[in-house]
Amino acid sequence: MSRLEARHWVFLGLFLVVLVSMVLQVDLGVTVSDDSRRMHDYLESLPPGSTLLMSFDLEASSLPEMRPLALAIIRHAVSRGHRIVGVALLAEGTGIGYRLLEQVGREYGKVYGEDYVFLGFKPQYIAAMLSMGESIKQTFPEDYLGRPYDSLPVLRRITNYAQIDGVISLADGSLTTHWIEYAGNQYGVRVSAAVAAAMVTTYDPYLASGQLHAMIGGLRGAAEYEQLIHRGGSGLRGMLAQTTSHVYVIVMILIGNVAFFLGMRKRRAG
Amino acid sequence: MGDSGSGVNVVAVLMRRRIPQIVCGLFGLVTFLCYFSDHPVARDIYLTVTLDYWQIIFAFSLIVGAISYVRVNLRGVERGVDRPYRIVSLAGVFLMPVLAAVWGIKGGSPFMWVFENVQVPMQATVFSLLAFFVASASYRGFRARSLQAAILLGAALLMLVSRSAIGDLLWSQIPEAAEWVRNTPAMSARRAILIGIGLGSLTTSVRVLVGIERTWLGGDK
Amino acid sequence: MDIGTIVAGLLTLAILTFLYRDNPIYKMAESLLIGIAIGYILVITWTNSLMSLLFRPLLNEGAVWLLIPLALGLMMFGRLHRRTALLSRIPIGVLIGSGAGVAIPAMLDARTLRQLSATVGPVITTGGVPDVSMLVVLIGVISTLIYFYFSREHVGWWGRTARLGTWFLMVFFGTTFGYTVMSRMSTFIGRMEFVLSDFLRVIN
Repeated sequence: MSRLEARHWVFLGLFLVVLVSMVLQVDLGVTVSDDSRRMHDYLESLPPGSTLLMSFDLEASSLPEMRPLALAIIRHAVSRGHRIVGVALLAEGTGIGYRLLEQVGREYGKVYGEDYVFLGFKPQYIAAMLSMGESIKQTFPEDYLGRPYDSLPVLRRITNYAQIDGVISLADGSLTTHWIEYAGNQYGVRVSAAVAAAMVTTYDPYLASGQLHAMIGGLRGAAEYEQLIHRGGSGLRGMLAQTTSHVYVIVMILIGNVAFFLGMRKRRAG
Repeated sequence: MGDSGSGVNVVAVLMRRRIPQIVCGLFGLVTFLCYFSDHPVARDIYLTVTLDYWQIIFAFSLIVGAISYVRVNLRGVERGVDRPYRIVSLAGVFLMPVLAAVWGIKGGSPFMWVFENVQVPMQATVFSLLAFFVASASYRGFRARSLQAAILLGAALLMLVSRSAIGDLLWSQIPEAAEWVRNTPAMSARRAILIGIGLGSLTTSVRVLVGIERTWLGGDK
Repeated sequence: MDIGTIVAGLLTLAILTFLYRDNPIYKMAESLLIGIAIGYILVITWTNSLMSLLFRPLLNEGAVWLLIPLALGLMMFGRLHRRTALLSRIPIGVLIGSGAGVAIPAMLDARTLRQLSATVGPVITTGGVPDVSMLVVLIGVISTLIYFYFSREHVGWWGRTARLGTWFLMVFFGTTFGYTVMSRMSTFIGRMEFVLSDFLRVIN
C-alpha cells in the first residue's frame, strides 16, 4: 500500500468540505445577475405558443452541471406555454434531451407531439444546423422514436428556422459558437444559450456583439434562474457547496503562494 | 516513378491526391457559391447534395471508428494484453446494439436503462474527478511568480469570490466589479483570439479549396 | 431503492477510487464505460441518422440518388485495410471540401467582421466622448492582436503594446480559470447530490 501524498490530503479536504456543505442542506439565496435576468425576460417576452428549438449539445460528463440549467429553462418555457422542438447534435445529448423533455412534459401535463417533440440526433453538427435552415423535415424526416415528421401536430406549420421563434443551445462545449455563426448568421434565427460555466467566457464576445441574444451559465446560473421562476432545484441546493468549494480553492491558492514566498525568502537568505 | 506505366499505378496515383483534391474543391466551391444564391435550384443542391452527403458520410465515419476500436481490442484479447478489461469493453460495445435491436430505444427500455444507470453516472463521475485535480493544481502550481501571473491570479480570485455567495457578503460591489472585468478586459482578449482564429480558419479554408493545403491527404504512402 | 440507483451508485464509487490511485476496479469501470459509450453512439447513429436519412428513403421511397452518398459512405470502410485505404480519401474530400466551403463566409462575416464591428462601432458612433469600457475593449483587442502578430519583432512601442496585450490575455485566462473551477465544482457537487440523496439517502 503506497503512502498518502500531499495531493490525497487536498482531495480529502475538498471531499469533506462538499460533503458537510451538502449535509447541512442550507439554501443560500443568490443575487440574480443581468445575464440570468435577460434570459428570463426573453422567454417571458415571447407570446405563449411560440416555438423554441432546444438543442441538447451536451454529453453525459457535464450532466450534473447542465441538468439543473436545462431543467430550469425547459420548465420556464413550458410553463409559459411555449412549444418545444428538441434536437441533439451530440450523440449523448440524444438520450439526455429525450428524457429531460419527457420529465418536464409529464410535470406540466403536456402532450408529446402536440406541445413538444424530440427529433433526435443528426451527426456533423454544422451540416445539421445548415440543413435545418433549409428544411427541418428533410434533416429530421422522423422523430427520435421513428414517427414520421408529418404525423406530429407540433411540427405541422414548421418548415425551417423562419417558423422558429428562437434557438436555445444547451451546451457544455463549443457548439453554441456554430449555432451563432451558421444558424444565426446565415438564417437570422435568434440564438440564446445555457452553457457550462467553463464556456461562459468563450461566448462573452458574442453576447457583447449581440450575436448571442442571452446566456446563462453554470450551477450559479441555474440557481439564479430557479430563483427567478420561483421553483427551487439542484442549483439553489448546491449553492452552499459551490461557495465553500470556491473558498477551499482560494485557501489552497493562498497557502501555496505563502509557502512559495516563504521558501523564496529562505533561499535568498541562505 | 519507374513503374508508373501500369494502369493500376496510374489509378493509385490519381486516387492518392488528384481525385480527392478535385472532389474536395468541387464540393467546397458548390457549398461556397450556394451561400450567395436564393435560387431554388441552388438551395436544393445545397441541401440535398452537400448537407445530406456530409451527414451521411460522417455517420459512416463514426461506424468505421467503432469497428476500428473493436478490431484493436480483439487483437489485444488475442495477445493477452489487458484481456479482462478489453473483454468487458467489447461486451459493452455489443450489448447496446443488442438491447436496442430487441427492446428499442424509448424511455424505460433496457437500452435507456443502461444509458441512464451505467453510462451517465460513470461518465459524469469521471469528469467530476477534475474538481479534485483543479484543487490540487491550485495548491501546487498557481503562484504569483511575475506580474503577469499576479494579474492572472487576481482575476481568478475575483471570479471565485464573485460567483459564490461570499462575493455579496464581503462587499456589494464585488459582483459588479467582476462583471466589468469579465465583460471588458477579459472579453476583449477573447475577442482578439476569436478574430485571430477566424482569420486563420478563413485562410486555411481558402488554401484547402485551391489545393495549397494538403495535409488532410496525409503522406504519399 | 431501485436496482438502477444501486448500480449507478456502485459504479460512481468505483470511479471515485481513482482518487486514491489507478486500480483494477477503476480500470474495469472505465473499460465498461468506453465500450458502452461506443455501443450507444453506434445505436444512435444507426437509428437516428442512417435509417432516417439513408436506408428508409432508399428502400421505402426509392430515392435512388441516395446510392451516391451510400457509395461514398461505404468507401470510408476502405480505411480499415491498407490496400483499400486510398478509397476513403474521396469521402474525406467531400467532408473537408464542404467544411471549408461553409466556413469561408462564416469565418469572414460572423467571426471576424461582426466582432470587429462590435469593437470599433460603439467607439465611433457615440457622438460625444466614448465610454471608458468601450475604449478599454478597443485597446484590449488591438494590443492582443498585436501580441499574436509575429511577422514583426516585438521591440519598441510595438513590443510594449504587445506586452500590454499579454496583460489582457492574463485577465482572460484568470477569468476563465475562475469559471472553470466553478464548472468542475458544480459537476462534483452534482455527483455528491446523487450519492447522498438517491444512493445513500443521507439527505432529502
